[in-house]
Amino acid sequence: MSEALIITPLCDREVPANLAISMTEIVDRGMIDLRGLPKDKKFMDAAKAALGVALPTEPRTSAQNGESLCLWMSVDQWLIVCPRKETAALLDKLNKALEGIFSLAVDMSDARSIIRLKGDRVRETLMKGSSIDFTQGGFEPGTVRRMLFGEIAAMVHVVSEEPDVFDLMVFRSYAHHAWDWVEATATKGSEVGFLKPAEAPAVV
Amino acid sequence: MLVITCPVCGVEGEEADFHCGGEAHITRPATENPEGISDEAQRDYIYMRKNPKGVHFERWRCDRGCGKWFHACRDTVSMEILGYYGITQKPPATLLKKADPLWQAHFEAQLKKAKS
Repeated sequence: MSEALIITPLCDREVPANLAISMTEIVDRGMIDLRGLPKDKKFMDAAKAALGVALPTEPRTSAQNGESLCLWMSVDQWLIVCPRKETAALLDKLNKALEGIFSLAVDMSDARSIIRLKGDRVRETLMKGSSIDFTQGGFEPGTVRRMLFGEIAAMVHVVSEEPDVFDLMVFRSYAHHAWDWVEATATKGSEVGFLKPAEAPAVV
Repeated sequence: MLVITCPVCGVEGEEADFHCGGEAHITRPATENPEGISDEAQRDYIYMRKNPKGVHFERWRCDRGCGKWFHACRDTVSMEILGYYGITQKPPATLLKKADPLWQAHFEAQLKKAKS
């Protein structure tokens, strides 16, 4: 049997060299959309047993178990992000654990694409495309925020700070738009500089 | 511009992060006997809105956040949002008191209909 070839939406895009931040596509992640009622103890227990970690119920938070992440999407929805190769096994495990419980788990690995943004200018780049003030508190590592970014539905996951690493998740069909948007707004020389002063232009 | 706080997930956002679902508490005429619904009742259901100048009840959706619907009480003159309540709930008495008389008449008529 030959291995399935996974074509990611941004596989043909080159990382631009003249950016104030670093930008790469994350290609090796699988995603499972999980829905259920947090009030249902059976559901929460079954999900915890399958995932190895309790589902986060606090809005805009996430939980981690090794390489698997549970991102809060809504009061009754979570996105499980795990290594692509383990997705099928994890989904199987989830479905077995959730049998007979009012819930839903679906492989959504190809629905979204993940763009990893890294650097001191990530927050101000994201602020150019959304109405959210990323300089305020509430964006500690682990935070998940769904938002309108560059006129499209997007979600950001704060992986770490200092240096800032943010994962921007957008629907696959909008991946090029998001990539173009970040490319245009994070070009060197376009820094706003309110978080960190912009470097003085080279004297010729 | 409106600044709205989602009562479900607590996120604060501007108008574009939310979606207005129009006037709240519109009841569809009974559908078990479609032929029995008068043209007037169907017209009122589809087209007739209160459109008050003052305190109004609306449905809103946390479009870019948790995706849940909720009710909001908004003053159409000052654009001030006076309160929120659940999507399956009726407005709390404190908000209803402030609302346009059209709304009080609306709920009184509903109550009367339920009793008969």
